[in-house]
Amino acid sequence: MPSFARHALEAAVVLGALVGLVAYVTLLERKFAARLQSRIGPYYVGWPHGWLQPIADGLKLMLKEDVVPARADRGVYNLAPIVFLVPCLLIFATIPFAPGLGVADLAIGVLFFLAVSSLEIVGLFMGGWGSNNKYALLSVMRAVNQIISYDLPFIFVALVPVLLAGSLQMSAIVGAQAGLWFVAYPVLGQLAFLAFVVATLAAENRVPFDILEAESELVAGFRVEYSGMKLALIQLGEYAHMLGTSFLGALLFLGGWLGPGPAWLGPVWFLAKALAIFLLVTWVRWSFVRIRVDQILAISWKLMLPASVLLLLATALWVAAGGAGAA
Amino acid sequence: MTGETVAFWVVAAALLASSLAVVLTPNLFHAVLYLAAALVATGLVFLLLDAPFLFGVQLLLYAGGVVTIVVFAIMLTERLVGERITQASRHVFNGGVVAAAVFVAVAGFLLQGPATPPRPPLAGDTTVAIGRALVGPFAVTLELLGLLLVAALLGALYLARTEE
Repeated sequence: MPSFARHALEAAVVLGALVGLVAYVTLLERKFAARLQSRIGPYYVGWPHGWLQPIADGLKLMLKEDVVPARADRGVYNLAPIVFLVPCLLIFATIPFAPGLGVADLAIGVLFFLAVSSLEIVGLFMGGWGSNNKYALLSVMRAVNQIISYDLPFIFVALVPVLLAGSLQMSAIVGAQAGLWFVAYPVLGQLAFLAFVVATLAAENRVPFDILEAESELVAGFRVEYSGMKLALIQLGEYAHMLGTSFLGALLFLGGWLGPGPAWLGPVWFLAKALAIFLLVTWVRWSFVRIRVDQILAISWKLMLPASVLLLLATALWVAAGGAGAA
Repeated sequence: MTGETVAFWVVAAALLASSLAVVLTPNLFHAVLYLAAALVATGLVFLLLDAPFLFGVQLLLYAGGVVTIVVFAIMLTERLVGERITQASRHVFNGGVVAAAVFVAVAGFLLQGPATPPRPPLAGDTTVAIGRALVGPFAVTLELLGLLLVAALLGALYLARTEE
């Protein structure tokens, strides 16, 4: 089956590129955060500016001793990093990096992304429960709380561009932005993008929404008992999810691979936009303080949820009135 | 055998095994994890039947949503009660009888039909068709379902409030 082999090859290439990109995104975040704090960040490993730091980190984590807590639920504990990682990598299956360049441009693209990334929580609570550790369990309870609260606004906001484009397919959503990026649509676009960034912060558990790994009270949250390669897998999953959501944001609001210049520049534009969103999220992370659990829940249920529903309703009315002319 | 057939049998075996594990494992938390696996396998069956929209919804609502809420409930109650809640499937025999009866009924029904009817070709984008059906001929049904859910929510709120 040549088509099967071709798909497998494509998937392997995307996966390899993805893991490399994720490794270097950690370096990007560290350098960026360091600059925000008037530091330099990693420098000597791979002089100058620490180009080899991610590889050194990966090797270090691989060589470390794998400690399993004596009272852990071994099966669940060992399986958790894999269950956590797989959905985080699977979300890239449906992201096209340019017209026709990607693993699968599914007709249900956005829905597939949302559905698969919602599975990540299973790995999270497997890790927290399986560790048999008070801090890990507290962290997972907070995580479940938060993810239940922010999944809905995230989904509603992601549906705004879907409504505007009239399709769940990623390439069709980008195609509908050929005239004007969705973020540039008056009022609706900007509000939706703002809500998307806030919901992204919460969905990825970044500061100011990182109560589940609050290092001053919960040590490191659900992964406190993980070490070595398992910790590496969990971190890979977290960064892959962050990167995937940035790509989704670039697709939904910033016109994906659209940009000036020849067509082969498309993937470059796309990557630049996704990294811009990633840096925006990182910027917020390193600038704000952590907020309390009740504040997070209040923001979600009293502000984000009604606002995103109203936004979706307004978009629907606008589209019904024939507003989305290009689509 | 085509790749699709192989995939079906693999998914079917996983679905059966995880469903059995849900009712047979004594550890309540493990039961929920098996439930999650069973729900994902059900979604894969939808995918094999060319219903990608149902696959997405199945993952989003059941594997992502319902399982999360069940886990939350277990975590809260286990820590509140302070002891491990074990799952004691007391009615395994009765359940087995009911399951066997259902299996015989379904199998009998299937055996009466024509042997492996040809699969009708897909007509366009099924997602669009589902969307149009939900706001077209089934609009009233959809609204009634929404009403039912609101009623259930209000009922849950009422039950939770009586404790104060």
